[in-house]
Amino acid sequence: MARKRGRGMAASWYGIARTATVDRSAAWAEIDDGGSAKIVTGVTEIGEGILTVLAQIAAHEIGVKPEHVVIGDNDTARAPEAAHAGASRQTYMIGNVVALASREAKKRLVDVMAEMWSAPAESIRTGNGEIWAENTNHRITMGEAVACAKNRGVVPIGSATFGTNTTGIADGKGGDGAGRPWQAYVFGCQVAEVEVDTVTGEVQVLAVWAAHDVGRAVNPQGVEGQIEGGVVQAIGQALMEDYEMKNGHTTTPGFAKYILPTSLDVPRVNSIIIEDPDPIGPLGVKGIGEPCMVPTIPAVMNAIYDAIGVRVFDLPATPEKILMAIREKERRDAAVAIQAAE
Amino acid sequence: MVDIQLNATINGRNVSRAAKPHLRLLDFLRDDLNLTGNKEGCGAGECGTCSVFVDGVLMKSCLMPVAKAQGAQVDTIESLAKSGEMSVLQKAFHKAGASQCGYCIPGMVMAATAALRANPFADREEIKERLGGNICRCTGYQKIFDAVELARDVQNGRVPATALLETDTADGDVIGKNVRRIDAPSKVSGRLKYAGDMIMPGMLHVQVLRSPHPHARIVSIDTTAALAMEGVESVITSADVPGQDGFGVFVHDQPIMARDKVRYVGEAIAAVAAEDALTAKRAVAAIKIVYEPLPPVFDPDEAMQPGAAIVHDYAPDNITKHIPIRVGDVEAGFAQSDLVIEESYSTQAIEHAYLEPEAGLAYVDHDDVVTVVSPSQNITHHRHMLARIIAKPISKVRFIMSPVGGGFGGKEDMIYQGMLALLAMKTMRPVRLVYTREESIISTAKRHPSRTTLRMGVMKDGRIRALAMRMVCDGGAYGLSTEGVMRKAAILAAGPYAIPNVRIDTYGIYTNNTPSGAFRSFGALQTQFATESQLDIIAERLGMDPFELRRINAMRDGATTHTKQKIGSVSLMRALEATEQASGWEAGAPTVRGPTRGDLNHDDVRPSVTLGTRFTDSANQEAAE
Ligand code: FES
Ligand code: FES
Repeated sequence: MARKRGRGMAASWYGIARTATVDRSAAWAEIDDGGSAKIVTGVTEIGEGILTVLAQIAAHEIGVKPEHVVIGDNDTARAPEAAHAGASRQTYMIGNVVALASREAKKRLVDVMAEMWSAPAESIRTGNGEIWAENTNHRITMGEAVACAKNRGVVPIGSATFGTNTTGIADGKGGDGAGRPWQAYVFGCQVAEVEVDTVTGEVQVLAVWAAHDVGRAVNPQGVEGQIEGGVVQAIGQALMEDYEMKNGHTTTPGFAKYILPTSLDVPRVNSIIIEDPDPIGPLGVKGIGEPCMVPTIPAVMNAIYDAIGVRVFDLPATPEKILMAIREKERRDAAVAIQAAE
Repeated sequence: MVDIQLNATINGRNVSRAAKPHLRLLDFLRDDLNLTGNKEGCGAGECGTCSVFVDGVLMKSCLMPVAKAQGAQVDTIESLAKSGEMSVLQKAFHKAGASQCGYCIPGMVMAATAALRANPFADREEIKERLGGNICRCTGYQKIFDAVELARDVQNGRVPATALLETDTADGDVIGKNVRRIDAPSKVSGRLKYAGDMIMPGMLHVQVLRSPHPHARIVSIDTTAALAMEGVESVITSADVPGQDGFGVFVHDQPIMARDKVRYVGEAIAAVAAEDALTAKRAVAAIKIVYEPLPPVFDPDEAMQPGAAIVHDYAPDNITKHIPIRVGDVEAGFAQSDLVIEESYSTQAIEHAYLEPEAGLAYVDHDDVVTVVSPSQNITHHRHMLARIIAKPISKVRFIMSPVGGGFGGKEDMIYQGMLALLAMKTMRPVRLVYTREESIISTAKRHPSRTTLRMGVMKDGRIRALAMRMVCDGGAYGLSTEGVMRKAAILAAGPYAIPNVRIDTYGIYTNNTPSGAFRSFGALQTQFATESQLDIIAERLGMDPFELRRINAMRDGATTHTKQKIGSVSLMRALEATEQASGWEAGAPTVRGPTRGDLNHDDVRPSVTLGTRFTDSANQEAAE
């Protein structure tokens, strides 16, 4: 059989938010006329789905529907600092701070209603666009509650800041690297199943099982989307992508030469979401954007070895490299066989 | 060249307009008709973001001269959601979470629409083949296939249309639910404006002059001829920078435009703002530069040797950053080990290949605030750096983050925003710059290529006693994120394992190659590739199942990391168990068991494909062209 299958696995770990420095973010929240929520924070969507995650968090904390959350963002002159969109930090740094700001805005509104209804603040609940006092007949819409607050001269707003308790590491001359680079760590593991064509050298990754700790999944579909996209980017690096240079000039200046994974190259990705809540932040969330890419390449290389007994040490594992390695292995095996015969 | 008079039916309306004959259909749609839903991801027929229907046939409009659309019926993404009501397929993309950055999505929706028109009953494998000409860098395609299958089933009545509706959150529990993405409708309909889709009245177009040399002294720059050209408003070089020039995430070693010397091919040297992009391009060609080539250095190991060409004077050894991690005594650990394995690994440079090439606008507002609109992943830091570079207080610098059509770390660097700000200040007009795909590839950061030597010592029972790793990375011509990448790579290099003796050294090195920078998983990918490959080599030698080997060494709750940090809960054992179970892993040592495994080809494995048996839609498409 020219086509051989195999499986490999690899584990991984990753740190959430900025590395070896203090990370921080801020947000403003307002429960607006009509009972919608307005969130302002200085960072936006880079495709990962953070706007939806923030809408869900604000909706959950304030007690409105996600579609009634408006997010104003991404402007250094109009929004508080939320630092940058990277380092797998969005859900952790911005999600947590939006939760805190939302709680403060909600508290303002709850205090007004508690006074109006002569009910203890702890008995006031919100959800699904309504606010009520437990064990009473008091129940009105959030929009009505906002109007009540404004009639009493209160605009229900909140703001918050969230920072990490982290340090640099001792990486100066003679240093040992000691330090507290992150306060939240995530762990993961993947298995890859591949098929190697020993005639053409082509490797197909048919399936990946990917288990990743995300602390708490705000939007499971979004988490899967990150895992699926990350795994496929990693497969690109494992098998085909290569930015090549010759004397300082690239020889791969376009997508005709720089080969990317297409719909035909992708495995079935089976995501398993693990929730080990972060004990520090208010929500228990961590992150997934980058960690999901880390174990894929070694899992694929281990699977190729399992299939054909050839290990690729130098990425990418192109068909040419696989064929060369197979020939090399055949020569080695033949030499061993001759030795054994002698 | 005389204009042609184009008569066509575009999104159901008769259009009769003069058009420049050199235009591609894509330019005509986007620039002349302001139908910016379809994007230019590559301009070379490779990515599919520009896909439209011409007389009902899916076409890449970047390959089609506008004259070919004479008399044709052209439908763009804007035609699908007439009066705001999305098509079933668009709703399915929304429901399935099929859009991430969204930049590929208009083209993808067009291709998927074509697929279901061609075969309303197409199965998943056929759908994949029919989408083969459209690249998505974000999603891994899976949710896109899900969306097309959902739309197919709704259209065929196999699934009720209610399957497209929002997840119910009436129980008040919103966290943990698959709430539909709030940005998806704007993405699947092509309504979202990325920086390259935005226009401002009186806007000038910017083009950049780039270095053809990897390392050369700039003897002189003569911009007279360019400046004299009609339609050219301004030409800038590093001489126009009013403040302290230099940006970078860790060291500010990169000038807005090359100063005194160039350090890599593609480095910006001058920029032109003109009434249109073509004039700006011609003006760039009219700038005269005299270079004095310098000896270059391309190999990071050579760059570390004495006598190598020096890329930056401040770093005569060409070391951007070295990060050490030390735990215990590795030599003693190796001496105690039953088995010591040493191997070398290397990884290549990787292009981010976000589908949205760099683009941005800048203007000076009514309060003299220099404003830059761009898909920047780090507006906070960019405004700090730009304020210093243009010598303005921070309150007079404003960054607005436009929707990011894919970043992956590649848009963390302030590569072009400085040029835009300077040109806006000089001309007092809005300016816009849109990179071509080639420009994006040659001039922006890559994932660090790496060379790693890894030595590991283990006991017969699998316990790792010692790990020593040395990784050298090509950081290219400028520092960008190299320091941070080396740090994260080192901290995470030994994997999530309790190892008593560890020595890790990562080096980021300057060369005259394209700079390396931030890229999703930031160094950890390179180091853990080595560690996890080596663990399987060890497992084979010990005759041990690879899961078992990892379990034996796994950090547990309360572990101390290699940076001597005590951490709380460690979910590694759960991740190992979950993967082992979900994949139905058959235990055994990794001794080339592939041919005899009993756990292959489950239901959750896709079928393999055979080259040549795929029918290709692109064949039909070419025939139609
Ligand atoms: S295929 Fe036309 S822009 Fe890429
Ligand atoms: S969603 Fe496809 S390229 Fe970003």
